Amino acid sequence: MTWRDALLLAARGVSRRFGRAVLTVLAVGLAAALLTALLTIATTAETRVLNELSKGGPLAGIRVSAAAPDPSQVDQDDARPGPPRDLDAGAARRIAALPDVVSVVPVIAVHGFVIPPDPDVDPFLDTVVGVDLERTAQLPITVLEGRLPAPGALTEMAVTQGYLERLDLDPQEPEAVVGTEVEVASARFYPSLGDDEIRGRWTKALIVGVVAQEAAPGQFLASIEYARLAQDWRAAGGSGGFIEVTTSAYSGLFVVARGLDRVGPVRHQITAIGYSTSAPENLIATVQRYLRVVEIVLSAIGAIALVIASLGIASALLAAIRERRREIGVLKAIGARDRDVLRVFLVEASVIGFLGGVVGTAIGWIIARIVTSVVNGYLTAQGLIGVRLGLSVPIVTGGIVGSTLLALLAGVLPALRAARLPATEAVAGS
Amino acid sequence: MLEASQPREAVAITVRALRHHYRTPAGPLVVLDGLDLDVPAGGYVAVSGQSGAGKSTLLSILGGLERPKAGDVIVGGVNVAGLKGDELAAYRRSTVGFVFQHFGLLDTLSARENVELACALARVPRQRRRARAGDLLAAVGLQERTAHRPTQLSGGERQRVAIARAMANRPSVLLADEPTGNLDEDSTERVAALLESIHRDHACTLVVVTHNRRLAARASVRLALRDGKLVAA
Ligand SMILES: Nc1ncnc2c1ncn2[C@@H]1O[C@H](COP(=O)(O)OP(=O)(O)OP(=O)(O)O)[C@@H](O)[C@H]1O
Ligand SMILES: [Mg+2]
Repeated sequence: MTWRDALLLAARGVSRRFGRAVLTVLAVGLAAALLTALLTIATTAETRVLNELSKGGPLAGIRVSAAAPDPSQVDQDDARPGPPRDLDAGAARRIAALPDVVSVVPVIAVHGFVIPPDPDVDPFLDTVVGVDLERTAQLPITVLEGRLPAPGALTEMAVTQGYLERLDLDPQEPEAVVGTEVEVASARFYPSLGDDEIRGRWTKALIVGVVAQEAAPGQFLASIEYARLAQDWRAAGGSGGFIEVTTSAYSGLFVVARGLDRVGPVRHQITAIGYSTSAPENLIATVQRYLRVVEIVLSAIGAIALVIASLGIASALLAAIRERRREIGVLKAIGARDRDVLRVFLVEASVIGFLGGVVGTAIGWIIARIVTSVVNGYLTAQGLIGVRLGLSVPIVTGGIVGSTLLALLAGVLPALRAARLPATEAVAGS
Repeated sequence: MLEASQPREAVAITVRALRHHYRTPAGPLVVLDGLDLDVPAGGYVAVSGQSGAGKSTLLSILGGLERPKAGDVIVGGVNVAGLKGDELAAYRRSTVGFVFQHFGLLDTLSARENVELACALARVPRQRRRARAGDLLAAVGLQERTAHRPTQLSGGERQRVAIARAMANRPSVLLADEPTGNLDEDSTERVAALLESIHRDHACTLVVVTHNRRLAARASVRLALRDGKLVAA
């Protein structure tokens, strides 16, 4: 008997005795469902949490400030910088040349005096963060609504959710500000003007998007070209009044290391070059450890369910074989070899496992969706972005292939027992 | 009838000094005790005997289902008592066809699939299998019932399917253990006629265990199993 014939026979056996197979299929299915749901939820949660920590940017990111390192802060995530130190293209090149550094993106943050369109909201002081908008993939920036300002644009800006809060708007409805305009001024000191010594360089900017960003503290994101113009104009007046001009070309750099485990060594080398760094490396490492534990616990629960299911398959198959002794005897009496019988029962077990896997993964996916929608409701209520559940191909194929293999394994003992039954079972008791 | 399944060639059965006992809690139960049997190629033997006489045991040994404790069982020049493993399976598959009192059909398969299963075990190619099963079922008068499952057939119909299956691999010997034991009179008559036609048209060697006089009457030799030996009935 060929494998194909065995498969046909087993498929008939399962489909035409489905009432009996259904419980076994369900047991496997529910176990597979549990495992699928747990793994889907665990992996989704992991991506979600890590994304939140890195604001959608690279996990191995390091912020370098235009300041000397404070020796007492070197190994801390949120290191307090030492005295100011100029950061220019030369320093950026030296850092970029370090081993394990993937990219270095300069950041220019400038103070801005902001007049929002809403007359009820008082003008306020904040920071415009200027970056090379061609390289946002290497920065901790996520677009929540709309788009990023065009690279090089001088009259386009994106804002953070903080800006919405400032305007007394719901941060969950970012579309409200996209398309509105805001006036931002860079201030400059004019000592010759006497009492009224401060003047502003005004820009009417179109808000094109809402972002979450951690490139530098600030509610406005603009092109580095805008920030450089504003900075140069301000610097031309020198320090005076409340204005303090820095001579640093960049206010900071965002450096990406080759991996999370390289963040520490790279930070040490940047410290050696003479700049203060900060990175959420300790936080991310801790969170990852916790997530790993959660994943292990969830997988263990799923695995126990699968073991229980496989014991169920084994006992159901043993019972079926006890019931089908005569049928097996007849198979042998009409010439089936031991391995033909073995084949039929192994294939039958696999068919049950496969069906259970398909049913179970589908159910598991549905469970994961339900859980996610509940979680999303909670996240939204907390003012956080929801989770998008991705149908993971490895989890689905793993669920189906795994259940099939498990059932196959559980079927080995019963199938061997069936194969060893004597042909005389065909006439026993007749 | 049954043109599709021309047997290879009828073979003779020779049994010498056959002994068989079963182990029971009360000690060995001797069932066959120095039994001799000669069936010429193409012969038709009916065996009767009291319940528990050992008729099924004898047939099981002839069919290669049970290994005798002692003695020779020569079927077509081969000593069945010496076969084991795959050789024994091949013997059951192609030399003999077995018909059971309880039909022995697989409930999950249709009539045609039951017949095809026997061909599948012999690795007959798929196309030929279907054709042969169709011809065999037509030959036993069930061409209208090929898609029915055993539970949808009458006892007589089931036994005819079982006979078609037994003939699937063109056996030289057909063994039937009380083939009409569960059938009413009409069905018995039909099955008896069928067996006779198989014997006549194919010179298939036939050994039938039966209590039914009408069925036994069609055999050329009638024997009875008594005290572990065969005697003329
Ligand atoms: N596997 C077995 N183990 C122990 N004893 C057995 C076994 N099979 C049969 N027997 C015994 O051997 C004897 C012969 O059994 P067998 O089935 O050959 O009788 P039979 O002539 O076919 O009877 P019946 O007409 O009732 O079918 C019986 O007494 C039976 O109880
Ligand atoms: Mg009997």
